[in-house]
Amino acid sequence: MRRPILVQTFFWTAAMLLILSVWQAAVVALQIPPFVVPKPAAVIDVLLGNGPMIAKLMWQTLKETLGGYVIGAAVGFFLAVGMSQIPLMGRLVYPALVTSQAVPIVGIAAPLVIIFGFGMMPKLIIVAWIVFFPVVVNVMDGLAQVDADQVNLARLLGGTSLRTFLIVKLPACIGPLFSGLKIGATYAVTGAVIGEWTASSRMGLGTFLLSANAQMNTPGVYAAMLLMTLIGVGSFVTLLVIEYIATPWRHRSTSPGHEAARTD
Amino acid sequence: MGGGLLFRKRHGEDALKLCIAHLTHSFGTHGVLHDISFGVAEGEFVCIVGASGCGKSTLFNAVSGLLEVDSGTIELEDEAIVGKPGRVGYMLQKDLLLPWRTALDNIVLGASLTRGANATDRARAAELATHYGLGAYLHHYPRALSGGMRQRVALMRTIAAGHDVMLLDEPFAALDSLTRFTMQRLLLKVWSEMKRTIVFVTHDIDEALMLADRVIVMLPNPGRVGRILKVGLERPREPACMASPAFMELKAQVLALLYD
Repeated sequence: MRRPILVQTFFWTAAMLLILSVWQAAVVALQIPPFVVPKPAAVIDVLLGNGPMIAKLMWQTLKETLGGYVIGAAVGFFLAVGMSQIPLMGRLVYPALVTSQAVPIVGIAAPLVIIFGFGMMPKLIIVAWIVFFPVVVNVMDGLAQVDADQVNLARLLGGTSLRTFLIVKLPACIGPLFSGLKIGATYAVTGAVIGEWTASSRMGLGTFLLSANAQMNTPGVYAAMLLMTLIGVGSFVTLLVIEYIATPWRHRSTSPGHEAARTD
Repeated sequence: MGGGLLFRKRHGEDALKLCIAHLTHSFGTHGVLHDISFGVAEGEFVCIVGASGCGKSTLFNAVSGLLEVDSGTIELEDEAIVGKPGRVGYMLQKDLLLPWRTALDNIVLGASLTRGANATDRARAAELATHYGLGAYLHHYPRALSGGMRQRVALMRTIAAGHDVMLLDEPFAALDSLTRFTMQRLLLKVWSEMKRTIVFVTHDIDEALMLADRVIVMLPNPGRVGRILKVGLERPREPACMASPAFMELKAQVLALLYD
């Protein structure tokens, strides 16, 4: 594997094409009527035929998803850091975090709309609500599993607690951090859609899906679904790329800028 | 014997770098260290030999400042250092290199953790590493280095931290015998060129006798000093000296103490 990114791109593209091909083949072979399941080709036609409108819907849902995702990831990360540095805070907050995830997300949406209205805010909060949890749990586990000998060594080298945290502990949980971020990335769009379904002053993919459904516009329903999926997969792949770039020591034998043979 | 050294220290006849007196410690009801006393002269190379469970690691943690002992004193040049980490260099069997830092960045870790490593630190570290055979690997990540090279980086990190006294706890125990021999050579080179004082824990008697000026034999239950032997073998010690009568005689004495 001399070019892991190229190889990965190939496999991802192949997998996506495979899913679309199976879908197309199933519709044709089982003779499913288009108002039940349209062919993917027909759905793509809908997307291409309504470019500007679709782009507007997509942009609205993407804004909600990305905004909420960034908020959720940041809150999750800083909560984890705080909870692991201040044990009392950890003990108090952890049960609350678990409780927050036990509340059904559809149940949270309604009160949020009552509190914050029909705008962006409830959507951002719902997305963040979903995303922060895997980040908190993974980063906390990562911080708890930092090698005690490593931390002792830092003490023996006279390290300040802030520098020890930044140099020794934080990089050690970069793997768990990205695991949490990746789990959150696939769920985030669900939050945005539920937010739109509850109440919305602006059309996004979620509201479009509802109205297409009401109008028996089956290709429209599938088009919306396809784009929501695209947001989830796109976020995940983007994170894979960021993780790859952020962790050169995993796939290079020397630091970037100092050339030596790649080892993978 | 430790008492004798302490006596000399009090009367100013000998410059003791590190002075350990009447160290006693227990975990719960289990005594791990019992009245440990010995001194290490400036520039001396002392090996501590003992079976596992004789309190070597506890002793090391005490001297390094990680552990506060129940009673007794540890003085580094007349300064009490019990419970004060960061006064002596420390190296373990585990290299503890940070995987996300290059060899050079691992060597300057001490500076990075205290005040941030500057260009001078890095230049000095690069010079040091190059002198001791790491020149081609300065920008390599630990993952790309062999076990011996990684321990070499760990040794450079210990030296770069700049402490006169270095504690080494079985640093080469996980290496194959050829690499271990190379590393012993390297350590002796570092010791003589950098004028450091070294306390080296090992359970390998040959290693202790090849390296040390004096060997402290520790006995278990509770951990205590069995005997302190002077190793009068001439330096540099070639591998052949392991077959010499003087070496065999010392080894027999240590074995007799350990298996008494």
